[in-house]
Amino acid sequence: MTKRKIFAGAMSALAAAAGFSAVPASAATQGTLGATSTGNITITASVPSRARITGLADISFMNQDPATAASAAQNVCVWSNTATKAYTVTASGSGAGNGFTLTNGSTAVPYSVSWASSINQTSGIALTSGAASTSLTSAATNQTCASGPTASASLIVGMSTSDLGAMSAGSNYIGTLTLLVAPL
Amino acid sequence: MILWKSLIGLTAIALTCGLETDATAQSARISGLEDVDFGTLVTLSDQSRSQSVAVCSYKNNPQRLPYAVTALGSGTNGAFSLASGPGTLNYEVQWSDSPAQTNGIALQPGVPRSGQNNAATGFTCSQQADTASLTLTIRATELATAYAGSYSGSLQVTVAPQ
Repeated sequence: MTKRKIFAGAMSALAAAAGFSAVPASAATQGTLGATSTGNITITASVPSRARITGLADISFMNQDPATAASAAQNVCVWSNTATKAYTVTASGSGAGNGFTLTNGSTAVPYSVSWASSINQTSGIALTSGAASTSLTSAATNQTCASGPTASASLIVGMSTSDLGAMSAGSNYIGTLTLLVAPL
Repeated sequence: MILWKSLIGLTAIALTCGLETDATAQSARISGLEDVDFGTLVTLSDQSRSQSVAVCSYKNNPQRLPYAVTALGSGTNGAFSLASGPGTLNYEVQWSDSPAQTNGIALQPGVPRSGQNNAATGFTCSQQADTASLTLTIRATELATAYAGSYSGSLQVTVAPQ
């Protein structure tokens, strides 16, 4: 047994002198020979910042009375895994320059977008197309709000009577609103 | 007179040799362990890392012995968890008594799992090739709710002849 240890030690010294590394540097400790033997390893991992938005639903203002302002509010789920659960939301429309507009193919009609960081709200901070909101905080504890709070924010889309009044009767207007959430 | 002294001397030597053998009757060693770095966990799916390790468990050199393996994490009460500030990331530990495996029996913190087969005797222990596998897994469900950050922890693995 003693002879083997010396042999292994001599080989390690020669390897070091030659510039070769027998084993890569490691914080792991190996067990020693004994009645029991214990070794230790270090484990590391990194989780990147993430955010997710779910629970969105299409909005319909079909057959809207132009004398009455249109407004549609919906609860959505926004989740952030940062320690503060903070996020920003950026909205962009399908109109020219990503504007918040609906079109019937020839005429564009604007709509407004507002956001609240709590649920069941019918008003909130006005969003500007392409501009990130201020820092908001999510109460969601699940990526899709499948557990814990069932939603964490409110999206409010509206159309004014003046804009409704400019629309052609019997003509369908359509548009797309894109919402981007980013963790902070 | 001279003959008796010689006989007594020989007997004393024989007894000493016998005592040294009994004191080291059962022996074990675990080696080949390496640190585990899961890296940046971007994909929300189960993440596993496996490694082969060498385990010796024997008695009186020629006799192989099965062994029990026990794992203890650095979490509360030895839990298998990594920490990043207030956040924790739990992982699972599996052991196989064959090398190059990517799964095995599940270990619980501090609970010995006996009956692990061993390929090494005392004569071969110092040159023993890998005989077992250690697998760590972080489940997608853990990743789905984990706080952002850098996590770390340690795992202690003990083997004992049965």
